[in-house]
Amino acid sequence: MFARSTLYTNNYLIKQLPQAITFINMKGVIVLASDKWICDFSPMGDSCIGMSLTDLFSAHSEDWQLVLKRCLSGEPGLPRVGRYLDETGSEKWFELEKTAWHDDEENVIGWIVQGEKASQRMQNEVQLDKLHILSTEMSDIAKIGLWEYSLEDDELYWSEMTKIIHETAPDYRPTLEDATNFYKSGHSRNTIAMTVQRAIINQTPWSSKLQLITAKGNEIWVIVSGKPIYKNGEFTGLIGTIQNINSLTLSEIKTRENEYHLRTLIDNLPLNVFIKDLESRKILVNRSEMKYCGVTKESEILGKDDFEFLDKETAKKSRKDDLRVMHDLKPVLSKEMVHVKNDGSKTAFLTSKIPLINTDGSAYGLVGISMDITELKQKEEKLKKLISVTSKQNEKLLNFAHIVSHDLRSHSANFSMLLDFLTHEKDEIEKQKILGMLTSASDNLLETLDNLNEVVDISSKSGLEKKPIQLTKALRSVKQNLAMNLTKHNVKLFNKIDSKVFVNVVPAYLESILMNFLTNAIKYKSPNRRPEITLRTVSENGYTVLSIQDNGLGIDLDKYGDKLFGMYKTFHDTVDARGIGLYITKNQIEAMNGKVSVESEVDQGTTFKIYFSEKN
Amino acid sequence: MKKIDSIYIIDDDPITVFGIQKMLESIVDCPCIDTFRNGKLAIDEIKSRIDTLKPIPKIIFLDINMPIMDGWQFLTEFSSLPITQSIKINIVTSSIDKTDRDRWKKIASNTHHTITFNNKPLRRENLLKITTAA
Repeated sequence: MFARSTLYTNNYLIKQLPQAITFINMKGVIVLASDKWICDFSPMGDSCIGMSLTDLFSAHSEDWQLVLKRCLSGEPGLPRVGRYLDETGSEKWFELEKTAWHDDEENVIGWIVQGEKASQRMQNEVQLDKLHILSTEMSDIAKIGLWEYSLEDDELYWSEMTKIIHETAPDYRPTLEDATNFYKSGHSRNTIAMTVQRAIINQTPWSSKLQLITAKGNEIWVIVSGKPIYKNGEFTGLIGTIQNINSLTLSEIKTRENEYHLRTLIDNLPLNVFIKDLESRKILVNRSEMKYCGVTKESEILGKDDFEFLDKETAKKSRKDDLRVMHDLKPVLSKEMVHVKNDGSKTAFLTSKIPLINTDGSAYGLVGISMDITELKQKEEKLKKLISVTSKQNEKLLNFAHIVSHDLRSHSANFSMLLDFLTHEKDEIEKQKILGMLTSASDNLLETLDNLNEVVDISSKSGLEKKPIQLTKALRSVKQNLAMNLTKHNVKLFNKIDSKVFVNVVPAYLESILMNFLTNAIKYKSPNRRPEITLRTVSENGYTVLSIQDNGLGIDLDKYGDKLFGMYKTFHDTVDARGIGLYITKNQIEAMNGKVSVESEVDQGTTFKIYFSEKN
Repeated sequence: MKKIDSIYIIDDDPITVFGIQKMLESIVDCPCIDTFRNGKLAIDEIKSRIDTLKPIPKIIFLDINMPIMDGWQFLTEFSSLPITQSIKINIVTSSIDKTDRDRWKKIASNTHHTITFNNKPLRRENLLKITTAA
């Protein structure tokens, strides 16, 4: 044991040592410490004396405590350098060294612990280690490989990741030429060879996206970059990175391809396709839509709304639809709408609008698809007209077929009956009578066939050439033909037709029509009055309307109106009423795209109105 | 031969009228076979017979297509007359139109008169059946 004076002397000496030194006893309690130690490690000044060293550092980081533990345990080989944070929070690096504390008799009575500021080298080593770990981690995560080429000894270094990217063995050591040959022959290999060459000559950095074929034969995309390195200002080689961007590039290529496909598709659709934002501004349009809006570049439409291209009313309606779709989040499908453009041109569209919905469930715009159905609508109109014409003709045909069937049947029934009688008849006189009837039946049949033939003729020759005919002139000629009849019945004929009136007709039909109506007027005259016939014309909705008014018997239209123009309908018990005239007349009028109507009152008279189409 | 008081034939075709008349003569004993060229003439005659309390026909042969008043119009008017007996009316037509047949069925089911539908030519056998049933 020390004598007290010795200890004091020692203490005094130790206090003044320029190093941070502390003496601890076997229990680890601080017995002595240099002022430097107290300055470096004891925030509470010399009251640390008497504390255990472990307690003194107990508030410090685990790393530092580990350094202390390693120091005290005395195990060799382990670094005893660590980061020490003092009470002000500033960071210092220390190395703790421990040596045995002997008494006079060489007995170990404790330990001398020295805290030496770690040298720059040590610090650098530690930091380098860390950097190395960091960069390895980084290159692992980012799949970035490192490489370095030394010009001096023509040696190429590949990092682990670089080898992984190339799929080579971990101990693979390539030459510069080997490395170049990994690149796909053609563009990639030429590029890398030239680029490296240029970099060596010009000492320029570069970065290229190239394809290489790995040791296992896989084709991948990489970004390879390099830059010159210098030592003491002298160019010594190249250093760089290589990154596998295959999946990235492939998906990028795929995306670009998809986009191209979609773009080609929507551009070539015979539909107008557009996408609008919440304000109904167009943010995507296809070629058809551009064409419809009369622009050649997308930029002339993008960001603009319907008010720029359509008239106000149409644009308003369109905006209303847009708002509803985006509010209700429900698509509007195949809505028919006529768009009027600013220039007044009209287009019929079949439009569908589908809302674009965010992940939060709200709309951020809409996709619109419009089909131009203007032509279709026009065709539909034409078709409707055609159907109406066809159904009318069909009705006529059916009517005709009934007439034919009915008439021919009644004649053949008569033949059959009369022949039956003839076979069984014994009486000669009666036989002669039956034969006479047969002859008359045969005549009737022939007449019927003639009539039917005439009807067929009119219907099948509706394409007969029409000519403008002066109506009064045609009337004059008919009057001459009827002269005898007119005189016989003392008919007063009033011609109130302007001599300037011309009608577009088949001349023969016009004559037949006039003849028929005039004959009828005479035939069905009232026995109580002198027959009067008045003819007038007016122009009405594209027709020249000829009215033929008489003061004859009249027809009860409530009873016979629907049959008036039918075949073989007669309404008066007049002997020569055949019932075919009006049927033929109506057919002739219709064959010239005209129509006929009738007004009549029993015992007052009848007015027929014949509509001649003014169109050719 | 069966005796029938009065028979009407209403048809505008003289040959049909002649045929029916001729066949009837060999089948029934009827002193009074009247013929009419259209429905109007027949209905006027029947009305006047009712008014003068003369016997009305038991059997009527009726054509459909006639001027002035056709067969259908005749049937409508006839049905409205105050006749308690069931009169046998035989439609005789060359029409094979289904709508005519349907129309007949409808009218026949709405009257106490017996209405039959016959296609031309009318045969002796048809006439026998019609006259014996009356």
